[in-house]
Amino acid sequence: MDVPRTVTAALADRPVDGATCLEAGAGVGKTTAGLLADGADRVYAITNDAEHARTVRERVGRDHADRVAVLDADLVATPLDTDSVEIVTAHGLCNVLPPATLDEVLEELTRIAAPGCHLVVDDYEPLPEDAAMRDLFAVENAARELADGRPALTFYPATTLRRLLGGHGWEFDRERTLLDPVPWTANHVAAHANAARASARPLPDALGDPLLAEIDRLVTAIDEESTGTMYSLAFRLPG
Amino acid sequence: METRPLGETGHDSTVMTFGTIALNWLEQEGANQMVELVLDHGVNHFDVAPTYGDAELKLGPKLRQYRDDIFLGCKTQERGYEGTKRKMEASLDRLGVDTIDLYQVHGLEYEEELDRITADDGALEAMREAKADGVIDHIGLTSHGNPQLILDAIDRIDDLETLMFPLNPVVAGKDDEDHDYQAVLDRANEEGIGTLVIKAFAKGPWPSTDDLPERDRPYANWYEPVDTPEETRERFDFAASQDVTTVVNAGDPKLVAMILDAASRYDGMDEAAQRSLVESARHDDSPVPEQLHH
Repeated sequence: MDVPRTVTAALADRPVDGATCLEAGAGVGKTTAGLLADGADRVYAITNDAEHARTVRERVGRDHADRVAVLDADLVATPLDTDSVEIVTAHGLCNVLPPATLDEVLEELTRIAAPGCHLVVDDYEPLPEDAAMRDLFAVENAARELADGRPALTFYPATTLRRLLGGHGWEFDRERTLLDPVPWTANHVAAHANAARASARPLPDALGDPLLAEIDRLVTAIDEESTGTMYSLAFRLPG
Repeated sequence: METRPLGETGHDSTVMTFGTIALNWLEQEGANQMVELVLDHGVNHFDVAPTYGDAELKLGPKLRQYRDDIFLGCKTQERGYEGTKRKMEASLDRLGVDTIDLYQVHGLEYEEELDRITADDGALEAMREAKADGVIDHIGLTSHGNPQLILDAIDRIDDLETLMFPLNPVVAGKDDEDHDYQAVLDRANEEGIGTLVIKAFAKGPWPSTDDLPERDRPYANWYEPVDTPEETRERFDFAASQDVTTVVNAGDPKLVAMILDAASRYDGMDEAAQRSLVESARHDDSPVPEQLHH
């Protein structure tokens, strides 16, 4: 699979070659592919989404069966040993974690990380107030809150994550901008609209119907939009 | 307009090269005006070929008027010695000049062609003779073909001085060997070979002829080009910031003024903005619709 340049840029200054790595929140395996391309000795790709786990196994795991272990597990309680990995990546992970869960996940990642471990966190700054995509995310969050009692997305400023990770004992190393602006393509708009619809449909009609109508309106109005920034933060555990 | 060394030729080319195929779709008066416009913007590197309709003939008058200001590239699709000599003479005749600054093997596609041009009676032999006689100054090669073939050509042609090949955000986002023009660029720079980028403004293939008959296409290009000032500038900035020598304009004359403007205003492009273009193209092209993130 093609390794996105965001991933390549985020890993470029990390000692991936020969390292034992963990991709936290594996998605479709983009960072796992990047870690393998950079010579990782072993990659644990963890996701709590069974479909994503299957995708990563099919796309990346099949060709590198001896170097990849795809784990269908909750990131707040992984089966990995304490102090067992040398590089941890969280590419686009934090924004899908509500604050309380984020803190639990960071606690678990810190437990797994060996002394001297590198941590790479790539995520989005909150979108500008005039961004149309911000309206779509707001509707996606409203639908998800009504359906499950939790937001779908939380965009943490880089400064917030730096302070939070500092509290978990990680030393800040560097920040770089991965995307400026962020291209939210028609594919992204459609994917977020579908996620919002999935939350809105089971709601009582009086709640769900206006949300579904607003989602349809926004999809037509936005089409695609380039806005906001994506950042990469790198940290190191003392040791 | 910014200039950069064209490899080790000793010539500094402007960051935009005028692809004179655009003249093919203009009457002579319009062609003259376009050359004036291009020169007004400071462009000093022109590229032509006998296969660009009557572009050689239409370039001729203004080329002769400003011969000393123009670094002239021409090409041939001939692969053998005799054919190359003949085509070179025909081009000189049609252009109405005595010398060509850069003569290029045009559109190398197959390994057999590489064997043919490097053979004793091949195209390169004719070019070397012409170079020794002072008819041409430099030897180059152009290809839309497999990057590995171009790398082989670099290995096998010791006196290769320039390469022309495709590069744009769509190509840059693909990791497979068939699109690895980055490897070509890296190797060319290692070897001191000048680099000319084509297809910088390609958005994608045209819709099928069922949806859009060829006669109804709004541009003469064989691909659908980007055609807004913003996209054009982004594409120019992306291509020019890839450590290349120069970027060739899209072929349709309606697009040339916009590209000239972008080239005149070129001031670099930071890496985050470059990645945004690659990511945008990658997702548009992706067969995987479920991706929420970049």
